[in-house]
Amino acid sequence: MALALRSQAQKSPMPGFRLGMGITLTMLSVIVLLPIGALLAQGISYGPAGVWNTVNTPRVWAALYLSFRLAFFAAVFNLIFGTLLAWVLARYEFPGRRLVDAVVDLPFALPTAVAGIALTALYAPNGVFGSLAKAAGGKIAYTEWGILIALIFVGLPFVTRTVQPVIAEIEREVEEASATLGASRFYTLRRVILPMLLPAALTGFALSLARAVGEYGSVIFIAGNLPMKTEIAPLLIVIKLEEFDYNGAAAIGIAMLLISFSMLLVINLIQIWSRRRIGHV
Amino acid sequence: MSDAAFDHTDVVPGKWRPVAEESRTTRIVLIAIALGGLALLVLAPLAVVFAEALAKGAWAAVKSLGSRDARSAIQLTLLVAAISVPVNAVFGIAAAWVITKFDFKGKAFLITLIDLPFSVSPVVAGLALVLLFGTNSLIGGWLVASGFPIIFALPGIVLASIFVTFPFVARELIPVMIEQGRAEEEAALTLGASGWRVFRTVTLPNIKWALLYGVLLCNARAMGEFGAVAVVSGKIRGQTATMPITIEMLYNEYLSVAAFSMAAVLALLALITLALKTALEWRHADQLAATRRH
Amino acid sequence: MHIEIDEIAKQFGSTTALHPVSLPIPSGALVALLGPSGSGKTTLLRILGGLEFPSSGRVLFDGKDATGLSVQERQAGFVFQSYALFRHMTVFENIAYGLRARPRRNRPPEAEIQRRVTKLLELIQLPQIAKRFPNQLSGGQRQRVALARALAIEPRMLLLDEPFGALDARVRKELRQGLRDIHDNTGLTTVFVTHDQDEAMELADLVVVMSMGKIEQVGRPQDIRARPATPFVREFIDA
Repeated sequence: MALALRSQAQKSPMPGFRLGMGITLTMLSVIVLLPIGALLAQGISYGPAGVWNTVNTPRVWAALYLSFRLAFFAAVFNLIFGTLLAWVLARYEFPGRRLVDAVVDLPFALPTAVAGIALTALYAPNGVFGSLAKAAGGKIAYTEWGILIALIFVGLPFVTRTVQPVIAEIEREVEEASATLGASRFYTLRRVILPMLLPAALTGFALSLARAVGEYGSVIFIAGNLPMKTEIAPLLIVIKLEEFDYNGAAAIGIAMLLISFSMLLVINLIQIWSRRRIGHV
Repeated sequence: MSDAAFDHTDVVPGKWRPVAEESRTTRIVLIAIALGGLALLVLAPLAVVFAEALAKGAWAAVKSLGSRDARSAIQLTLLVAAISVPVNAVFGIAAAWVITKFDFKGKAFLITLIDLPFSVSPVVAGLALVLLFGTNSLIGGWLVASGFPIIFALPGIVLASIFVTFPFVARELIPVMIEQGRAEEEAALTLGASGWRVFRTVTLPNIKWALLYGVLLCNARAMGEFGAVAVVSGKIRGQTATMPITIEMLYNEYLSVAAFSMAAVLALLALITLALKTALEWRHADQLAATRRH
Repeated sequence: MHIEIDEIAKQFGSTTALHPVSLPIPSGALVALLGPSGSGKTTLLRILGGLEFPSSGRVLFDGKDATGLSVQERQAGFVFQSYALFRHMTVFENIAYGLRARPRRNRPPEAEIQRRVTKLLELIQLPQIAKRFPNQLSGGQRQRVALARALAIEPRMLLLDEPFGALDARVRKELRQGLRDIHDNTGLTTVFVTHDQDEAMELADLVVVMSMGKIEQVGRPQDIRARPATPFVREFIDA
């Protein structure tokens, strides 16, 4: 690949192509491609039938279903709340707005294990919110609700950060035009603003989803980790590894990669479609 | 367009109201939902970390951080960040340079590959590293035999940290470098500057804030990574247990104050990262505006 | 519709965009607000359209006070300088927007919407572009679509902010006649803002020359040319 690339770039007077491409491809190979390749190779040597037999057990299906379902719900929540947050931050003036803007990024900066034990302390039956839930006869930590909250936490900033700059770029005249045509403010938001935000919001949704599907650190503390009930797919991989079942771990890893990539592919296609309609951005 | 649209007219008679904005009530309700949601979802967990750490007083918290295992974890985490962040910075600069200064086939594919770690679960990343470098593999077996084990040792932790932070620096640099184009570098070349000199005196000053921003994000993630490190480190107390791994071990042993004290250290680090990042954004808003969509 | 501007003034913070100005606009007239940037012409147009609220003074439509009417209630067809077309909608959907946005009880049935949009596309002589998106149109086509979209709501008046500002000279000349024809066909009271005195003089029945938030002179093009009322007007139309 590098050879073909070099001949094309040689026309450029800019220096550093060989060095830059050399570093890029070497690092990419050693850090990302070779390990992923090793994972796939393990799957191939195990054989499709082996992979399928590992995945096709109730416990693995339950874990995959749980991970993807809750990741999807968390991403949907973040899509709605994140868009609202972006709108409030981009459009409204209120005291402390810039501070709030900074706080949005906290889930990116806070290590997942820290978030995990903090959320557990909050939502466990003896925690601040957990005891409220208990008083109301419910339970949050060690149930799907707890996992959902952790997944919402880790994916929270994505949609806000992708949508906010797009809101800032909307011309006021477009909103005014809608009003002069007789549309109510709500109609304008629904039919003009939201469709303009959709491609960026979908990008944020996809990032949030991808993050939530693979999330481990913030979830295992609050999940309870009961097989068939609150056991997420990444945890199953860890369990298989601890049992030195490399084939089993690889099989689940490959299944997760395949499902993730096909989901992201679908989202990408929706995005390309909606972007083409809008023209740019 | 004039600034007219941004003018807030005070109370007016009739049904007239500012056109491109919501009513006062709607605004207040939306702000309340946003702030309430953030307080519940983000600030409450942060507050709990410090509350739990200080549950038995500040002295207990500080003392727990002075234990041998805690100190070893802190040292290891600093070491891992000190190795993986510069490596990623070099990679990020190289990748951004190649992608923005040259045209070649497969560029979009290369960008996709660089972004790949974002859509791979950290646990899967760790698993992949184990499969490549573990004792059972060809390479791993040979490395262990030659006395240079990767898995359950420092190199594995570093590799895992680099994997999960792989796209950070490149993603911050690419939009900024696209925006700045190639003209300045080309001008410097026509003036007879060497390639290295062009990079140092023209490119680097232009990208330094975005680079710092990327390095900050990369550092925060590298120090806090849990899933990938949990898989490759083997969690050997005092040897391969990073700070996040130590938090897990302490927490599982019901040493709440110790676990949360170490968590508080990482949370403080996160807050400092955020403060620096925000300061950067305020001071260099123009340049960073291009990157605010990761 | 007859429009009466009665002592309208507008401040933005400490800057005065409009000193109190008064102006009657006779029903069915084609009026140009002419002046350099910062003369207050766009502010006056936006106040007429209900996009801005005056600091003092009144606007009367057919003798009735319309100052407090919301932008939606004014039913003013407004064409923006940037056209402000909805990028995610086809030309057809753009034009139909105002009809679809009506509350259900006032909304025409779908067949009626189809019929009206088709008719408007014929009026602007672009019957073939219904399914295109705005980014697939030329500047001149966009301007005409914006005009059709404003006309679709059956406005009581037509307000245009620099309608030819974003076009090159050749297209500009062509579309001037287009606007004149549409005005003559519909008989709508039409006010447009321009900084181009040729455009104002050639197109308008009545030219209002503005400067520094004040009206310098109001008159028919030939009268303004023959007898400029102030040194500013003389200089501006000579330029």
